[in-house]
Amino acid sequence: MTELVQAVVLGLLIGGVYALMASGLTLIFGVMNIINVAQGAFLVMVAFFTWWLWRETGIDPILASVVTTPLMFGFGWVLYRTVMVRIRGWSPSMSVLLTFGLALTIEGILNITAGNKFKSATPSYFEESFRIGSLSFPKAQVYGFLAAVLVLAALYVVLTRTWTGRAIRASSHNPSGAALVGIGATSTAALAFALGSSTAGVGGSILSVLYPFFPASHYDWISRLLGIIVLGGLGSLPGALVGALVLGLAETLTATYGSLRWATLVFYLVILAVLLFRPQGLYGTRLREDVAA
Amino acid sequence: MSVRGTALVRRFPRAGRVAAGLAVAALLVTGCQQDNPNDSGSEGDGGGSDEPITIGISLPLTGDFSQPGGEAKRGYEVWRDMVNEDGGILGRDVKLKIVDDASNQDTVVSDYTKLITQDKVDLVLGTFSSLLNFPASAVAEKQGYVYVEPAGGAPDMFSRGFEYLFFAQPATAPHQADVFVDWITSLPEGDRPKTAAYPTQDDPFTRPVIESMQEQLEGIGVKTVYSSVYPADTTNFQTIANTLKNKKPDLIAQGAVFEDGVGLVRSLKQLDYNPKVLFQTSAPSNAGQYSDGVGEANTEGVFYTVSWNESATTPLNKEFVAAYGDAYDGAAPAEDAADAFAAAQVLQKAVEEVGEIDQAAIKDYLHENEVETILGPLSWNEKGEPQGDFILAQWQSGTVEVVGPPDVATTDTIVYPKPDWQ
Amino acid sequence: MTDPKRRLVDRLPKGHAVALLAFLVLVLYPAFRPYDTYYQTVLCITFLLGVQAVSWNIISGYAGYVSLGHSAFLGIGSYTAAILAERSGVNPLWMAPIGGVVAVVTATLLGLVVLRTRGHAFVIITIALLLSAQIIAVNWRSLTNGSDGITLDLPPWSRDIQNMPFYYLFLGLFFLTVLFSALIRRTKLGTGLVAIREDEGKAAAVGVNTTRYKVTAFAASAFFIGVAGGVYAYFLTFLNPVGAFTILGSVTIVLAAMAGGRGTLYGPVVGAFIVGIGQEMATVYGGSSSRVLLFGVALMLIVLFLPAGLLPTLDGWWRRRHTTGTEYQDQAGALGAGTLQVRDRALASVVVSDAVEAGAPAALPMLEVKGAAKAFGGITAVDGADLTVAAGSITALIGPNGSGKTTLFNLVTGAMKADAGEVWLDGTRIDRMHPWQRGHLGLARTFQTTRLFTSMSVLENMVAPLPDARWSTMLKPSVAGHEADRARELLEFVGMARFVSQPAGSLSYGQQKLVELAQVLMLEPRLVLLDEPAGGVNPSLVGRIVEIVRDLNRQGVTFLVVEHNIPMVLELCDPVVVFARGKAIAEGPPQTIREDPVVLDAYLGDEWRPPAASAAGPGASTDATQEVR
Repeated sequence: MTELVQAVVLGLLIGGVYALMASGLTLIFGVMNIINVAQGAFLVMVAFFTWWLWRETGIDPILASVVTTPLMFGFGWVLYRTVMVRIRGWSPSMSVLLTFGLALTIEGILNITAGNKFKSATPSYFEESFRIGSLSFPKAQVYGFLAAVLVLAALYVVLTRTWTGRAIRASSHNPSGAALVGIGATSTAALAFALGSSTAGVGGSILSVLYPFFPASHYDWISRLLGIIVLGGLGSLPGALVGALVLGLAETLTATYGSLRWATLVFYLVILAVLLFRPQGLYGTRLREDVAA
Repeated sequence: MSVRGTALVRRFPRAGRVAAGLAVAALLVTGCQQDNPNDSGSEGDGGGSDEPITIGISLPLTGDFSQPGGEAKRGYEVWRDMVNEDGGILGRDVKLKIVDDASNQDTVVSDYTKLITQDKVDLVLGTFSSLLNFPASAVAEKQGYVYVEPAGGAPDMFSRGFEYLFFAQPATAPHQADVFVDWITSLPEGDRPKTAAYPTQDDPFTRPVIESMQEQLEGIGVKTVYSSVYPADTTNFQTIANTLKNKKPDLIAQGAVFEDGVGLVRSLKQLDYNPKVLFQTSAPSNAGQYSDGVGEANTEGVFYTVSWNESATTPLNKEFVAAYGDAYDGAAPAEDAADAFAAAQVLQKAVEEVGEIDQAAIKDYLHENEVETILGPLSWNEKGEPQGDFILAQWQSGTVEVVGPPDVATTDTIVYPKPDWQ
Repeated sequence: MTDPKRRLVDRLPKGHAVALLAFLVLVLYPAFRPYDTYYQTVLCITFLLGVQAVSWNIISGYAGYVSLGHSAFLGIGSYTAAILAERSGVNPLWMAPIGGVVAVVTATLLGLVVLRTRGHAFVIITIALLLSAQIIAVNWRSLTNGSDGITLDLPPWSRDIQNMPFYYLFLGLFFLTVLFSALIRRTKLGTGLVAIREDEGKAAAVGVNTTRYKVTAFAASAFFIGVAGGVYAYFLTFLNPVGAFTILGSVTIVLAAMAGGRGTLYGPVVGAFIVGIGQEMATVYGGSSSRVLLFGVALMLIVLFLPAGLLPTLDGWWRRRHTTGTEYQDQAGALGAGTLQVRDRALASVVVSDAVEAGAPAALPMLEVKGAAKAFGGITAVDGADLTVAAGSITALIGPNGSGKTTLFNLVTGAMKADAGEVWLDGTRIDRMHPWQRGHLGLARTFQTTRLFTSMSVLENMVAPLPDARWSTMLKPSVAGHEADRARELLEFVGMARFVSQPAGSLSYGQQKLVELAQVLMLEPRLVLLDEPAGGVNPSLVGRIVEIVRDLNRQGVTFLVVEHNIPMVLELCDPVVVFARGKAIAEGPPQTIREDPVVLDAYLGDEWRPPAASAAGPGASTDATQEVR
């Protein structure tokens, strides 16, 4: 029984972090129909930066997100304005190709600058756990989970209570209508992209303490994230949260009771099943192009 | 098609015809008869005693195996420096051409193909890991080059009927853990571990080691409570640690490469489970890297089998350790560096005894003779399998001690059971 | 006056000639330099990339369904050949064709399930499939030997000839693949695929069975890759699951095809050489780790700045430098052309319409809509509408904007699925059928804003519609034979004969409308739905269109016309159905409708209200002809 409870605990903890990482991806898709396959690469890039920062200055990696988040916000904003804006309105396949190229470029640069070796930030609490009874709550995971919850809550507040947030949501539901009320499409899109990539700031910093990573790790992450947002519904934040928790649990339980080897397959199977039988996922809206012949 | 065909000819512009003619002429002029580089008496040998001997090597300097790959590179380079100081081989300096295969099998194939057919190196030496040596050795065999590999003990390596392949370690994978099993058997029955868990990476080398150990231990009554294979890219070992905590095995024997070995120890610590015996392949042989990774206090009592020991009195071993320390800031060599050094020693001896760079003669020599290396004497059967024994080592108080077989042990103490994690 | 027909045709054989020359050079190369093993190896890999890129082009270039998982077929072919060779002891080269067959079967099965999705879903699914294949290959040890991989025997031939046999095998496969792709493009299958890429809904509306086409293309794109996989396994002598199913392999294919020109025949060929040789140079000068960076940057640059690829961009540049004269529509010709002969199917209705005119009891209505309903979220577009179109009539459907007329059309043609209700075409219930099936039964439709396939020529647009569901029709050459003749005839009829080889996208709006009308006539329809046929066409041509419609109607074709040009409607159509707020509110002969107060209130407005005094007569109002929009 303890094994099950422990597995559930681990699954939920990691699910929370997944939710944070997936939130950026689903936000970007929801607002501008771009599937940012490079989101995984953003995470790894930030992880490397955080590791380096920790190595040089000793700053706690998770706290380093205070630095990395605004940096990634700026990065995303500039990236949108210079690169992504050019493919606005193009078919989604092209956005996948472009962001894939971006992911490979980032991987290549990391290979050259940081080297193709495993890295892991290991602050003092890294191997320790909180203990409640016979259950262990690894500290790194707990801190990561807390940070994730904080950021998701902040994101929710921004999107629902601020003007910017409402502008972003309006733009995603009805671009022309939004334009009519004075919401500039490009600047809103840039903001949304920047917001989405800033979640990678926190996510990447957390990643640096969670597991060893190296430049090609982005493939693992983007597979997971795609599975999560497809399940939750492309464009839906609550969907990303639910999807992340569900898949975090599924992955951990499959690894514990099934076989670790088939655990990653869970994400792909989810992608296939959902896109084929219920393309809008749990919370998403059906796109018109799925309906009309 | 006939009507279209004539239309084609009619429309075929004059410029095109001239271009075609030029192309064919160019081919004829540059072509003539090419020399067959496979004939004897071509560039490889006879290039005068001033020309260095080039040895082509591909190694995983980046990617999954970058840690041991980097060590192998150091081993090769220390050897090269020592040999050149001594006057080289056959009076010629040795030059190493080392390329990075990024732990990727397709790349290692094209690397060796290029080294042999394009760069026309005189000799080749192997790469790290069975995964990579598998295809690379096939390339060498196809080209008729002797292939001495420092790592790559998977049994399948030797079932292909290759003649040019030689494994420069004392034993192949299924026999690596024999010495550990011997130690368990030597314990009085009441003291032996009762239960065992066998997590291993999905690797052609680690699997046979652990599987063979499992079979032997089951044979003497150690109950298997857990056995699994995890993918090579696994980074999260908490689920395995969780399961182990619940099954409570006395012995955990992990088929690890490096990162996964460190990862499992960390997870066991996070989930607070302390086995009585911990055995890991490869990972603990990485000296400082390993103790940095898991924390020095946590290395206490970890067992592993190894092909080489720092304090062994085999020929050139002391010099090797000293040279390595000089070159790399006083660090102690990892096993992989020693294996690479030994592989190079094997090749060197054969070339020197044969007297020239003749791949076929070198291969024959190695099949018929024993070579002294820093790992001890090595000899091979007709399949390229070595015929020796491994050493059982254990981390004690932050250094590595040899604890078996008894005739080479450096200490009588064996730490058992393993202390709790710090 | 330069003949545009000649220019296009002139270019085609030249491209083939250059390709053939290059092929000959490559064939002869090893004969002159047999010991260039390294260069031969590089070329082998380049040819292999070419096979994959040209094959990928069939589904992702022609049909526009971008697949990022195509290298999976190479892995499937490799593993099939290797496993069979291992178990049977036969040389893997003999097993390679079986690898191709397995790849095709896999593609077909997957395609049947997966090609129901569109756009981004397809791309993501192909990625997921590739990575799933990798996991399966790694973990299904009993079949694939897992990470230990499969080791094949070394080739038996002498070291002296090294890779030459592989060189010729790969080159041969490359040649066959290009031939295959060219053949496909020439057939109606090829035209249909391009139509799907341009506008899948429109393709379905003109009789193209999009599912069948897509699955066929997907399967076709797998065969040669599978065969090449078998050869490749033997070339490597060692197969490992991770290497056989990498994403980077698929990215390389996409990069090659896009760099050269996705959707063209030789684009992927050129691209394969660029990328194949480029990546080797990158490895030599930059180290193998530079490959990833190079691919990433190249992919981004191509998508951003050269999305059409090298060949089409060069072609466009060439065209801009060497413009041909501008053609103008043959107005006089159009107005003067004689009557158009309608054939086959429509003739069957002639009997019916004759009978109707003779006052015989009414036969089956051509179109019957019963209780159709369609809502979008909160908006009800069609609200339990009933509509009957008598066979042989020209029925008008008028009403204010937003009354649901176009939605009703969509429900009838199958572009949208009705929430409720039934649609019957000449006694056959069609509301559950696919749009193309309705097309094959004789239902055709033009669009409010024209939907031609802009990148194809006018002639190709004309031969794109598929009159029936037979496989043999799909495989016939598209621009040849009496189909092409019939197309030209129809184009002359509407005065667009001079534009046969122009890309349809370069025509003006009005010109496109005429072409679209001619296009749907290729289906030999029994019922034609015209959605605002007079919009954007000059007044004299409106008259011509009316003439055409009347003429076709006399020969048995039934029409249902949506129009806002009331005078045209009143002149041409009988009966007139008035639609408002999602259902019909009135129906009857034009005169009755004009005076119906319900209609006047809902739609026509006061200008059409007959004056109170009868002295003015019905003719007075027509002076105030206005476009009621």
